[in-house]
Amino acid sequence: MGRPGRDDAPDRLFTLTGGRSRADSDAFDLVTLVVTETEPTSGMQSEHRAILTTCRRPTAVVELAADLKLPISIVRVLLTDLLDQGRISARHPRSAASPGAVDPRLLEQVLVGLRNL
Amino acid sequence: MTATTPLTRSGTERLPLRPAVRALLVSVLVTGVLGTAFVLSAPPSVRTPLAWCTAAGALLLCVAAVTVARYVQVAEALRERLGSLGEEVARGDQERVRLTGENTRLTEERRRALAERDAALASFANAAGRMQALSTGMLADLRAMQERHSDEDVLADLFHLDHRTAQAGRLADSVAVLSGARSGRRWARPIVMESILRGALGRISGYQRVRTHAASDVHVAGHAAEGVMHVLAELLDNATTFSPPNAEVHVYAEEVPAGLIVSVEDAGLVMSEVQLRRAESAVSGTTDLASLSGTRMGLAVVGRLARKHGLKVSFRPSARGGTGVLVLLPQDLLSRPTQAAGPTATVASPEAREHPFAGLPAAPAPAAPPVPAPAAEAETAVLPAAPAAKEPATAPAGDPDPYDSGTFRTVPYDPAAYRGGREDGPGAHTRPAADAEPGETPDGHARTPLPSRREARTGRTAEARPRTESPSSATGTTPGATGSGPAGLPKRRRGQTLAAAHPEGAPASPGAAPDPVDARLRAARFSSFRNAVRPTDPTPEGNESP
Repeated sequence: MGRPGRDDAPDRLFTLTGGRSRADSDAFDLVTLVVTETEPTSGMQSEHRAILTTCRRPTAVVELAADLKLPISIVRVLLTDLLDQGRISARHPRSAASPGAVDPRLLEQVLVGLRNL
Repeated sequence: MTATTPLTRSGTERLPLRPAVRALLVSVLVTGVLGTAFVLSAPPSVRTPLAWCTAAGALLLCVAAVTVARYVQVAEALRERLGSLGEEVARGDQERVRLTGENTRLTEERRRALAERDAALASFANAAGRMQALSTGMLADLRAMQERHSDEDVLADLFHLDHRTAQAGRLADSVAVLSGARSGRRWARPIVMESILRGALGRISGYQRVRTHAASDVHVAGHAAEGVMHVLAELLDNATTFSPPNAEVHVYAEEVPAGLIVSVEDAGLVMSEVQLRRAESAVSGTTDLASLSGTRMGLAVVGRLARKHGLKVSFRPSARGGTGVLVLLPQDLLSRPTQAAGPTATVASPEAREHPFAGLPAAPAPAAPPVPAPAAEAETAVLPAAPAAKEPATAPAGDPDPYDSGTFRTVPYDPAAYRGGREDGPGAHTRPAADAEPGETPDGHARTPLPSRREARTGRTAEARPRTESPSSATGTTPGATGSGPAGLPKRRRGQTLAAAHPEGAPASPGAAPDPVDARLRAARFSSFRNAVRPTDPTPEGNESP
């Protein structure tokens, strides 16, 4: 499964989350958009700082995981911590497409109206 | 022999006096009787001197007798002594032979013990090295598995295994350090203090009780990182082991002029003065394996590593009620991140993002190396120029008249124009390409077939034009001042100015009627502006949840 590289990090993944592998809440799935609410402070864990810096612009959880080079589960645990501290907010993209938000027929009518202009 | 001489003399001095006294009495008696008889038998005239002489002779005789007796006695004693000495010498010889044999045996035993010790240490070191390699490989495998499996139950199990393997690895490291082998793996780059602490945490059992407070961004040199991690792991393990199971252990990293101080504070057992001193001597690194007690090898490992890397470890009672350990990392093990990759860059990136135009190219990906400030400024310098350069290039496209009246413009590119040119005759198509004089374009010769040609071209000009116009915009001249080169590329004639080429006015006058392309350009510019501004707005309208 590959020789141990010389440049991987010395910290084990479980030390990032204090041994937790499961997020307490289901607030985050792969495509949840995360937005920073407060600026990172100096005493924070570096991953939290990185998340807060990245999420100044809404970023999906998968993107965060790719940026941090961490497994999704770990990122979700980290995000849950930040959410509990109120440092980020999570927005679910599905809510925009959920039924009742905007009727596709209405959109169609708008499109037709626009074309007729 | 020198030892026996005083023995002999003291023996002689302590010889009994009785034989000498007996000899004295006998000789006095005999000489007295014989002398008296000799004197009485002599004539009276010589009796007095004779008596004196006889007395003197008797006295001498007595003295001689006593002396002889004494020496006989001494000789006797010496002979006895000699006999016993001979026996002693014989015994000493036997002893010497025995001791020589013993010595040889012990030397042999010692040599064998040393060889055994060396072999044992070497095999320990070898085994520890293999265990280190195994655990390192296993940790890498586990890491790969953790990346691969997203199931949280599997991940929890993998974490458990990871933790156990890391602890086994620490044990292997300890054995390696004590047996004099090299300690663990080497890192090719400096490791940030946070990672060092986490690496140490991962190797102890009670890591969940440890709280780290490391705001420092100091890096530890790669060659010492593993040792420092191991030292901290041992100290943290001690702190968590010897403190109540629910008490927290706090780790602080703090920069001082001498280097970096890492303090480990627990709320556990308070060490007495004697224990503190013993611990200090254990970590001083001067102790050898002989003083190693079976169960406590952590501090000895700390001592060895501290001496190897020049760390200073000291113990003191902690304000938390337990024991505090201070580890001083000397300055030569530390490095600070370079300015470009460090905090200045992270400071510069929000700045760059706040700039209206810099936000467009500097897509905010903070994990990627942020755009340094000068580069962002260069971008802002380029960006306003780009629409300005684009403007003369695209604006005339919406206003086709000045170009389409000049038939030379797109003729070389347009097959339809070729066809049209052939219908008109060869002159219509070769002439504008060869000598394109703007003044000659309005002549009737080329103009007659124009309407049909323009109709045929309309479908193609949209795609043909950008190719032809971009060079003209690059040279900074308006297309009206250009001619076509032999390859059909637009070319400005030498010395020709915009006013001379178009005495009636610039072809792409700003006052021209708004056309769709211009509108598109403006929309693009506006959207780029909006893109640039958006990151500063935490709640962009596009992402608001309904």
